[in-house]
Amino acid sequence: MNIFTGLIKGMISGATPILLAALGGAFTFYAGIFNIAMEGMMLGGAFFAVLGSYYFNSWLMGILCAILGSLLMAGIFIFFAVTLKTDEFVTGIALNLFALGATTYMLRQIFNVKGAFSSPDIVPIPRLQIPLINKIPVLGEIISGQNILVYVTILAVLISAFFIFKTRFGLRLRAAGYNAPSLDSSGVPSAKIRIWSLIICGILCGLAGAFLSLGYVTLFSENMSAGRGWISLAAVILVNGNPWGIALISLIFGFTDGLGLLLQQYMPSQFTSMVPYVATLVALYFYSIQERKRKA
Amino acid sequence: MQRKIISGFVGILIALLIGAFIMLFQGYDPIETYGALFNYSLFGLYPLATTLRNSVPLILTGLSASVAFASGPVNLGQPGQLLMGALFATVGGLYLDLPAFLLIPVLLLLSMLGGALWSGVAAMLRKWFNMDEFITTLMLNMIADFFTYWAISYPIFDQTAYSPMTPQINQKGWLPIWGEFNSNVIVMVLAFIAIYFVFNRLTAGYEWRITGQNSLFARLGGIKIDKNYVTVMLVTGALAGLAGGLVLMAGPHRFLKGLGANYAWDGVMIAVVANNGLFGTLLYGLFFSAIQTGSLGMELITAVPKEFIQVLQAVTVLVIVAGRGYLDIFLDKTIAKRKARERSA
Repeated sequence: MNIFTGLIKGMISGATPILLAALGGAFTFYAGIFNIAMEGMMLGGAFFAVLGSYYFNSWLMGILCAILGSLLMAGIFIFFAVTLKTDEFVTGIALNLFALGATTYMLRQIFNVKGAFSSPDIVPIPRLQIPLINKIPVLGEIISGQNILVYVTILAVLISAFFIFKTRFGLRLRAAGYNAPSLDSSGVPSAKIRIWSLIICGILCGLAGAFLSLGYVTLFSENMSAGRGWISLAAVILVNGNPWGIALISLIFGFTDGLGLLLQQYMPSQFTSMVPYVATLVALYFYSIQERKRKA
Repeated sequence: MQRKIISGFVGILIALLIGAFIMLFQGYDPIETYGALFNYSLFGLYPLATTLRNSVPLILTGLSASVAFASGPVNLGQPGQLLMGALFATVGGLYLDLPAFLLIPVLLLLSMLGGALWSGVAAMLRKWFNMDEFITTLMLNMIADFFTYWAISYPIFDQTAYSPMTPQINQKGWLPIWGEFNSNVIVMVLAFIAIYFVFNRLTAGYEWRITGQNSLFARLGGIKIDKNYVTVMLVTGALAGLAGGLVLMAGPHRFLKGLGANYAWDGVMIAVVANNGLFGTLLYGLFFSAIQTGSLGMELITAVPKEFIQVLQAVTVLVIVAGRGYLDIFLDKTIAKRKARERSA
């Protein structure tokens, strides 16, 4: 039983950052933006989360700073890709490397360390104990006592699905990706919708970053997003942006993450660390098989 | 061509200006900093030779990305291909014993084989299962990263070392160094000439370029797109692998953790700034190498940490790529105005 709950908990904490970033990616996906900058936004968020939490001694300020930091990255993306109409792919790659360089530079400038920064002054995001439910055996252990951002993530899935499919904004968002000229000619500037989708993506990636540096662990290390932004991009592409699909895929990735930790007893950690990336390849394989059947 | 040079220079100048503002904002002296930066990378025999040596992996991975992007495949697997190339060269260098004039080419070929094998995996996934190479190469990068880390931690681990690294490779496999000049530059120049010739002078290169510009037109013209796709992936993988082999054979002569550094991603950026042009890749590669090489001296002389260069690089890329279109419009306007004035006069 212990292994089982451990696995589930590992799955949830592994899935949370990927799910948050992928939800952000879903908004830009529907808006028709080839957004590969989730990695950079997440990394920026993770750094500013530590910065805010360290200086204000408050995890709430940490989350707020993470969102601001991630929005800064999104702002750069908006300025280049939407305003100046630079190629989105190029902007994304440059932004990811900018985020890596800038966070490494600031790590050195502000905290005077190389590699990683941790301190007892960084306040982690607390876990939420739900009364009554935490008394239930097994189930209580899973539902209660998770990081606050985990509950925020569940809410985010519901809200995203509602926003994208049930509101006027969602309709315009999908129209911006589906047929931008007709949206423009109906009097709604598609550029404005794109900017909003990127801002939402920035906020969600900021939360993902905050979870990485204040929830998953309580420190910031160089390049700590470690390809999670790319995995979330894969998740978005796999399910064509559907928030429910994204939630499912992220849980599967989270499961492989937890499984990797479990397998560490039996094989070298380098192989277990590969598991989520191999899982992405396997998922892509099934996606392409399905796609072929659909066409046939 | 002229226009590209102008836009490159203007872009670099603007980026350096932005960098200067960031420095001023933090209370550093930009003139002194840039002075130190270029003093330690360009002026003098030793700095220049170091810049040249360091440019090799940047230019080769840049060429790999340029050729791939210009021909269609979005091969972003250079980091993984570089590591696999270096690993293959390491294994060869540890277990083969040949005279130097044979061992060096064999190791270089092995490194190319390693890179091509790794990009070949992505190419096959695309060919058989229609899986997008854009994501598969990225995932393969992470897998290669962990795989090489495992290889240098267990099977070919140096028993006497405290951190994961392999023993030194056979001395006969070391690239010769003449004074300050490292011969890895020669290999890079040969590779550049070869790929330039193939890309611009041979039928194969013509087919790649046409496919990259308009794959439908290429297919209707009777070009075998699938076959070319695999070839391009293999060739670009081999280029990135060669970069890894050269890093190993010119530098530490052993595979240690973090060997790949950020070479490959910098190479991708270089290809992007150069708009996938081969000569542009060469020139921007030299520029990036110059500021990276000078960054150590800059850190030594001034208080600016060398990580600042990473920021400067990304700013340069964004400014040049974003400014390219606007500069074109501006130049076109100026030329048109001048022509109009001449006509009226």
